[in-house]
Amino acid sequence: MSSRELALTADGAVRPAAERGLVEQCRRGNAEAFARLVALHEAMVFNLACRLLGHPEEARDAAQEVFLQVYRVLGRFEGRSTLRTWIYRIVVNHCRNRRRFWMRRQRAQALPLQELTPADEGRLSRAASPTPEELLARREEARRVQDALHRVSFAHRAVLVLREVEGLSCAEIALALDVAEGTVKSRLARARDALRAQLQAREAAR
Amino acid sequence: MSCASVRRRFSSFRDRDLPGAQARTVEVHLAACPACASRWRQYTAALDGLGSAPRLHSPDGIAQRVLARLEVETRGPGLALLYRPAWAARPLILPSLVTALLVFAGVIAGALALDRPEPLPEVATASLPPWEASAAPWGTEGNPRFPVSGVGVPRARPGLALPPEVLAALGDDTLFVETVVARDGSVSAVNLLQGDLERARGVLEALRQARFEPTLLNGRPVAVSVYRLISALEVRAHVT
Repeated sequence: MSSRELALTADGAVRPAAERGLVEQCRRGNAEAFARLVALHEAMVFNLACRLLGHPEEARDAAQEVFLQVYRVLGRFEGRSTLRTWIYRIVVNHCRNRRRFWMRRQRAQALPLQELTPADEGRLSRAASPTPEELLARREEARRVQDALHRVSFAHRAVLVLREVEGLSCAEIALALDVAEGTVKSRLARARDALRAQLQAREAAR
Repeated sequence: MSCASVRRRFSSFRDRDLPGAQARTVEVHLAACPACASRWRQYTAALDGLGSAPRLHSPDGIAQRVLARLEVETRGPGLALLYRPAWAARPLILPSLVTALLVFAGVIAGALALDRPEPLPEVATASLPPWEASAAPWGTEGNPRFPVSGVGVPRARPGLALPPEVLAALGDDTLFVETVVARDGSVSAVNLLQGDLERARGVLEALRQARFEPTLLNGRPVAVSVYRLISALEVRAHVT
């Protein structure tokens, strides 16, 4: 099977057998296979890093570092979870470490939510409804939600993004975060309430 | 169910994780309680807003940049170099490990050799009475003999003179001292049986430093306990 002809499931995920083949080719040093692997997951990695770090430039650097790490430790991937879930874990750990790095250097305040970039605005326009009023409302809502997301703790943010944005189940989140499923559920409940409280507080301040 | 209980279940309710009866109770409560209904609307609006936020698409060229970085890091003919075995990636690791192990083994062997005590001369214990069998062997430092019946008084090696200033410190006090002379001629214990300890310190220390000729019994060295009266009083013959 060529690395360009990966069998996909109905929801666009890579079938397990195809995934194993891709991983095996990457382990053998097949650059084309690794490029395919990056192409399959780069949107997810960048999106998750962007949500967790709140800064597109940082997220782009983080995505590169994540894939470098994926390549280096791919030999240790045992297939107990899907490759995607395994990469989720690497992304979360990398973003957590990056955030700690900032915190140590007193740059916590330099972690604001970045305003949407012009490119994001363009994508938003294409994806949004055609009327200007609705487009404006969507932009405002997106900014508001991202702003609130970055005011909750990193642990809460990670579980919120994995659940609400990436759509992972609690079991998958438990694998990605390397915690018990019960921990995920309790953390998710607190995180959801924290996000609601942040949005409500911002609303009240206006 | 109270408002607080209902709100605590919002997360499970949203995920449809609540048992049927509890889920119905929450629904009934939300229908009847405007405050909780308002909170629930805020809750779902926040999470729906997060879930429906536009996905941020990755910039182009991540794969190319990652591959370029890997190529630079490996500086070799391809990515397979990353998967070299450890001894191939670091060829000096095995010789280094062998050298380190040899040095470590040498240090451990030396430490063990230095730590081993020299064996003490054997002491005849066959003649010990049964009641002493459990005690230290007779004639050793823990159970010394006395200078009687075949055991001579240990002879001091030259230099065992108590210094005058040590004797002067005694004043008019008289010490009764037990000295245990070990089998190798050294002093293994000095016990002050009578006398002022503060005044006797110098004498006791001098006795600890003393060396004797080993005392023999049937040709074998034995430890001997010696009792002494020590005084600084000068005794002179009465002059008539």
